[in-house]
Amino acid sequence: MLQDILITGLINSGVYALLAVGFSLIFGVARIVNITHTAFYMVAAYLVYVLGHLWGWPAWLAIVAAVIAVTILGLLSYRLVIEPVREHETAVLISTIALAAIFQELMIIGFGGHYLSIPSLIDGYSQLAGVRMTNQQLLTLVIVAVTLVGVWLLLAKTRLGLAIRATAEDREVANLMGMNVRHVALWTMGISVGLAAIAGVVVAPLFVVDPLMWLDPLITVLAIVVLGGLGSLKGSVIGALIIGYVETSTVFLLPAGSFLKSAVALSIMVLVLVVRPEGLFGIAFEEER
Amino acid sequence: MVARVSPILRSWLAIALALIGGTAVAADPIRIAIIGPMGFIQGENQWRGAQLASDQINGKGGIQVGKEKRPIELIQVESNEMLSVSDATNAMERAITRNKADFVIGGFRSEAVLAMQDVAMDYEKIFLGVGAAHGELGTRVKDDYDRYKYWFRVAPTKSADLGKQIFAVLGTIAQELRSKLGHDKVRVAILAERAVWADPIVQAAQQNLPKLGMEVVGTWRPSAVATDVTAELSAINRANTDIIFTALSGPVGIVLGRQVGEMKLTAVPFGINVEAQKEGFWQATAGQANYISTLDTYAPVAITEETLPFIEAFEKRFGEAPAYTAATYDAIMLLRESIEATGTIDADELVAHMEKTTFRSAAGNLKFDEFHDPTWGPGFVTGLAVQWQDGKKVPFWPNGWQGVSYEGMQAFRFPERK
Amino acid sequence: MTVMRFVRRGLTFLRTEVFVLPSRIIVLLFALGLLALPLFTDDPYILRILIMTSLLATFAASWDFLAGYSGQVNFGHALFFGAAAYASALINVHAGLTPLVTIPLGALLAGALGALVGLLCLRLRGAYLSLTTLALPIILVSLFFAMPELTGGELGIRRVQRITNDRVINYYIAVVLMLAVCGILWKIGESKFGLILHALREDQVALRAAGINTTRYKILAFTISAVAAGLAGAVYGHFLRSVGPATLDVQLSFQAVIFGVVGGMVSIVGPVAAVFVLYPLTEYLADFEVFSAFRLLIFAVIVLLVLLFMPRGFVPWIRDRMETVCQRCKNRNTATRSSCRVCGTALR
Repeated sequence: MLQDILITGLINSGVYALLAVGFSLIFGVARIVNITHTAFYMVAAYLVYVLGHLWGWPAWLAIVAAVIAVTILGLLSYRLVIEPVREHETAVLISTIALAAIFQELMIIGFGGHYLSIPSLIDGYSQLAGVRMTNQQLLTLVIVAVTLVGVWLLLAKTRLGLAIRATAEDREVANLMGMNVRHVALWTMGISVGLAAIAGVVVAPLFVVDPLMWLDPLITVLAIVVLGGLGSLKGSVIGALIIGYVETSTVFLLPAGSFLKSAVALSIMVLVLVVRPEGLFGIAFEEER
Repeated sequence: MVARVSPILRSWLAIALALIGGTAVAADPIRIAIIGPMGFIQGENQWRGAQLASDQINGKGGIQVGKEKRPIELIQVESNEMLSVSDATNAMERAITRNKADFVIGGFRSEAVLAMQDVAMDYEKIFLGVGAAHGELGTRVKDDYDRYKYWFRVAPTKSADLGKQIFAVLGTIAQELRSKLGHDKVRVAILAERAVWADPIVQAAQQNLPKLGMEVVGTWRPSAVATDVTAELSAINRANTDIIFTALSGPVGIVLGRQVGEMKLTAVPFGINVEAQKEGFWQATAGQANYISTLDTYAPVAITEETLPFIEAFEKRFGEAPAYTAATYDAIMLLRESIEATGTIDADELVAHMEKTTFRSAAGNLKFDEFHDPTWGPGFVTGLAVQWQDGKKVPFWPNGWQGVSYEGMQAFRFPERK
Repeated sequence: MTVMRFVRRGLTFLRTEVFVLPSRIIVLLFALGLLALPLFTDDPYILRILIMTSLLATFAASWDFLAGYSGQVNFGHALFFGAAAYASALINVHAGLTPLVTIPLGALLAGALGALVGLLCLRLRGAYLSLTTLALPIILVSLFFAMPELTGGELGIRRVQRITNDRVINYYIAVVLMLAVCGILWKIGESKFGLILHALREDQVALRAAGINTTRYKILAFTISAVAAGLAGAVYGHFLRSVGPATLDVQLSFQAVIFGVVGGMVSIVGPVAAVFVLYPLTEYLADFEVFSAFRLLIFAVIVLLVLLFMPRGFVPWIRDRMETVCQRCKNRNTATRSSCRVCGTALR
């Protein structure tokens, strides 16, 4: 039982971590709560289905193409829809909701409300300490780990990463220091959506693809990011681990209550916020301009 | 005639046709509204079944109402019930008051149908249910007959009867398992989605299975929209399960199908798995769904003389086998039989007639009980059980159950894998 | 004689307060039109749509009061709508009390819940508050699913009594409720209480420094807004005769936000206008089969366009075309005027 929880929890947390880090990045740098984030994840999954399954492209090509296409879509969305209303926080929230709804409807129109499946990249299963997992799940874990390490390297060791971290910390000062804040925001948006796309591509063979698949992860990601503290990447990863394990534990320890896992995760988020309003690692910022 | 155009255009069309056509077209059509989630496969099937019936009937001139023949005019009404119950009630009222429907057929999602039923009963319109299994739709008829008598459930059989059917099939499977594997104790895991409709089935299973000589190793209740059941399956596998008893109606059914195959479990899933009834299930599970079995309504077996012609005509026209919501075909045929027998479209007279007759539908012999539900049992509607074998949905039950066997039944298969 | 005085006061009020501004004339005509509608048509379908629209408008207006005026942007407003609906339905079905009693009870319960949520969110700001409020109805829905014997699980509560079966009376109940609730909310917004809410939205720290008990006002804003939303929810439940988890749905909460922002926040009128334009439009489109698949898409596109071109909402946009603000005394005037009606300065 314990091994089940440990391993399954790790897989779930990994996917959540990918989504949460992307979400947190764009919030930290541009103070944008991007509700469309998980909708990009959905579009990537559908793209892989179309390219890899319907059009028969080789798997690696479909994946790379899907990630690139969705990243471009994200950048376009940012320029056309989000940037113009950047100043009003609520307006940004609503336009991202509307955009997500548009993507959802486009998927419904294009593919119907049916559930679709993409074949796994690697078939079969493995046993690890008495726990049976599919090989696709293991592959997912590996990709997630590699991606997260890649993001960490980008942020810690490159100049762009430095610019991102600086802008996230204090936009005004970064601007004064000569960094082109708009460009940094654009790059960050690209990375953020790219991460969502990778998550979508990696998850597509694991789960079922349908036009409403963006709603549940959205709630969970919001819970994670808030729990970890908006704008803190460390917080996002740790939050993802916490929420991922809480959900998995709920499924295992309360088999009759496994539908409650979202509620439990959210309740934890609410509790943490009541005690510590800025999340675990968030910055308690005063009135910002 | 199928009319899916705006009322204004429709009246212009009618005038034009009347001028051109003369007396033959002047006969007032019988308007039948097909209401359902048209964007989803259930609604699609409802519409297709109706189209097939309507075209067949209109091809022969229409329905004989007393002295004149009146054609059927179908109205497609999108209920949006999957996303909004209030939209569904709006749509029902729209169908009756704006589209002037004489009869309404359809409905799928139980909570929406319960609300839509109220609206239809307000207007005393006959509402034939094709899709929702909830028992309350029928108990309302018994409790408040004068108000709810206009409701009849054509398909599926009510959930309580589905429950009886499951245990009948389960008994058959367990018997085969015992003789095949040589051991007596069959170990069953219950995997039912967390939903009100599944609760009585779970309870019944927990009580009845031991009486049938089977051991319940555990009960798992994932969410209907769960995207991952590897955790549950891992635990089920560790308990050396023989049969996974399923009660699933949501997409979790697909996830189950896929992951059982990917994890190469030896346990065989059987029960209710609505997703597994669909043609697209094999693709949706990426070809991993071998051995998944479920209850179903239509299969290429001769349940009655109507079954095979219906299925062939449906497949020929739409390229796919009909799902159970295509029973709108049976519903319209039932209406035709009743109208022609009574010579009127008056609702009260039709109700009286439908309560008395036994109608030979493609799903079985339809006789309504005091709840206006289809009678379940040998000689009436028994339902079928099907299993996915190598990409095809194969019917395997009833095959000698209580003397009932339809031509075309095949054998159940157990997973041979480690 | 007092009748004459009353009439005279009413006419004076109309002359000095209402007829001076085109926007207020429109509001008056709109209210009169709604009230007079049943004289011209008794089509039950149209009345049904308008009933739903009015209830939704009440809901959206209550959200604006909370999010617009007091600045606490609630992303889970459906919590109050649904909680009142469930409470009213449960009391009605199990205790057999008439809806005329259960509806106010449900609304009061929602109000208490509002106070609780306000208390919970006291220390939260901005996005944190929004996301917490988003989570609350989801948690409640899960709790309901865990108690299916009481709440009916995903099927909800059925056999809820109607207030009356007369469609026209139901219509008047919904419309009068909307006009009354919106009128009261607007009046509060214009009063001293409302002034404090405005200040609360702009700068809480300064307000506290001025000696005002911000805690009390924040919680009160939540409570009042919740009662209003609860009234709408309870009436909704009794009209549909069933109450299900859809009354607590995330989509419903989002709709409140969308109508508020698209119509124009901090105005009460804005959300109401948005609902009356958008909801019947999407219903009308449903009649045309071609469009029914595109309903949500069209809705979302309209929302985006309004946000891009009329960022403060379309009611302020329209109002700015018809009226100008006097530079000196800040009062609104009809755009065609050359001088301010209050202080006489020349208008540009």
